[in-house]
Amino acid sequence: MIFHRQSRRYTLLAAGVLFILAFIAVSQVTLAGLSFQTEPAATPTLSPLSIGNETCLECHGQPGLTMPMENGDLLEVYVNPDDYNNSIHGELGYACVQCHRSVGEYPHPAYSASDLRAASLDLYQACRGCHEQQYALAQDSVHSRALAEGKRETAICTDCHTAHAVRPLKDRTTGELLVDAHVWIPQTCAQCHSAIYEKYQESVHGSALIEAGNPDVPTCIDCHGVHNIEDPTVASFRLKSPQICSKCHTDEERMAKYGLSTDVLNTYVADFHGTTVTLFEKITPDAETNKPVCYDCHSIHDIKATDDPERGLQVKENLLIRCQLCHPDATINFPDSWLSHYIPSLEHNPVVYYVNQFYKFFIPGVVGSMVILVALDLNKRARTRYPKIRKMEVTQEQVEPQQAESVGEPASEEDQHGSLS
Amino acid sequence: MSTTSNHSANNRIGIIRTFHRFTVGQRWEHLLLMLSVIVLLLTGLPQKYRLATWSHNLLSTPERLQFVQQVHRIAAIVLTLVVIYHLANAFYLLARRNLPGDMLPTWKDIKDAWQMIKYLSFFNSKKPLFGKYNFEQKFTYWFMFFAIGIMVITGFIIWFPEFFTRLLPGGIIPATKLAHSTEAIVIGIFVFIWHVYHVHIERLNLSIFTGWLNENDMRTYHELEYHHLTGESSENPDRGESQG
Repeated sequence: MIFHRQSRRYTLLAAGVLFILAFIAVSQVTLAGLSFQTEPAATPTLSPLSIGNETCLECHGQPGLTMPMENGDLLEVYVNPDDYNNSIHGELGYACVQCHRSVGEYPHPAYSASDLRAASLDLYQACRGCHEQQYALAQDSVHSRALAEGKRETAICTDCHTAHAVRPLKDRTTGELLVDAHVWIPQTCAQCHSAIYEKYQESVHGSALIEAGNPDVPTCIDCHGVHNIEDPTVASFRLKSPQICSKCHTDEERMAKYGLSTDVLNTYVADFHGTTVTLFEKITPDAETNKPVCYDCHSIHDIKATDDPERGLQVKENLLIRCQLCHPDATINFPDSWLSHYIPSLEHNPVVYYVNQFYKFFIPGVVGSMVILVALDLNKRARTRYPKIRKMEVTQEQVEPQQAESVGEPASEEDQHGSLS
Repeated sequence: MSTTSNHSANNRIGIIRTFHRFTVGQRWEHLLLMLSVIVLLLTGLPQKYRLATWSHNLLSTPERLQFVQQVHRIAAIVLTLVVIYHLANAFYLLARRNLPGDMLPTWKDIKDAWQMIKYLSFFNSKKPLFGKYNFEQKFTYWFMFFAIGIMVITGFIIWFPEFFTRLLPGGIIPATKLAHSTEAIVIGIFVFIWHVYHVHIERLNLSIFTGWLNENDMRTYHELEYHHLTGESSENPDRGESQG
């Protein structure tokens, strides 16, 4: 009896366990089935923007993810999550799909481009969505013109700013270019213009920036502009280039730091060459001229300090080399023809100073004494001649018939003079 | 030397004695001098004041600038030839002991100038008497002589700076440039105030073009020369010295 009762208890227990297991099993299956049904039903109602970056990175965070182009090249579609999150867009919380608007669904719609560059040239248009102003400026640039001419390797937004690791360049509160950005800029341009970068980093400007992090010196964009980069090989750029240099070199505050003269522009303009260049720039900005501008003597990218022991223009021989570019017959005295941006004084170019002083006294002396003599003469005539001439006219009438021979004509001439004075 | 010419006016016959004053060579010299100086000033001053608006149109393109400079240089060559002829002729006459001394400055000129100032300021009642050239004309000649000398020398230096800096220090180029362009102002002012006043406003004196001066002007303005030529004694001989 006891056994019987006991065996029934075990049976009940076993049945309960089985029931629980079965319930769990059934509920699992039901849950799984439910989840399968809900997901596809929910997707179409979601905006693409609601797709979090994590969703994209599930696949695109996998290194080595690529996609074939029509020519067989592989487009890397992997995005380093750290790169993106540290970029200005990542920091500000922009979503992948805000730029990649056409790939919001999965499976993605088919995408194809003939090659890697074609893909870049297509995808960078996304920048326009927010940065229309910069995009428009870039349309006026030498790069855009080159692109229009079919040079596909020319710089587009993403070549300089990168696609995903876009760095903040300006201080968000002051709008000033970050000190680091000063260094990045030449490095960025150097990706293509590496030969120029090599010259620049040796220059008085480049070395101060690269070696000492000095933000006072110009980077590429200070002379060439940022997005609307002009063609620097055209005549108009040449004619206005002195204005570019003088932006900084006539800035008293900035030049005082380095003990540099701010008279460089006005002394240049005051001389033959500078006068011509300034005039052409003002009236015919497209005129071709062989008159030198700043960079013809100071170099373009490898500008050296004038006291540079090797190439500084304070060394007459170095300046002579520059003079000889246009004046092949120039010899060692010739460079002194140029006043070296000094305003003539006793210390600098005393001969010019003395000539100037001489005329300062000579001209007023000559003009003054001449004016005094002429004025005295006029005064004398005004007071003494008029009555005389009137008298002569009267006497002439009486005398004429008898003495016409000798008096007639001279008297009438006197008459003329009288009316003139 | 005197010549006569006949003029008829109002059915009267007037006989005017005229006095030969300038040779054909001198008249040509003056004409070329005048034309070249006018062209030089017209093409030079815009270059000096090229940043002023009035010279913009003349010099605004490289082609125009080059044209103006070429005209300036051609006129400069004409002027230089006149200067060379003038000096060579003077040396030739000097060598033949035939150079007239009328234009040489004398002590009398300084006295004349002083007398003239006194006369013009009503301190003297009588004008000083002048020979062939009065002190003003001599001053004009010598002033222009040295001014043109400066212009020709400095002009060639800045025309050929590469050559001249082989011989001279480079600093003279900006100095000559300054002297050239400033002396031009002096010449411009001088010609327009002094010379134009004396030959146009004071009296119309065209003798440098015609070569002769009429008797009346000769007697009025160059009394000593008049008496010297006519052989008549001066009205007041103690007032002036006869010209050598």
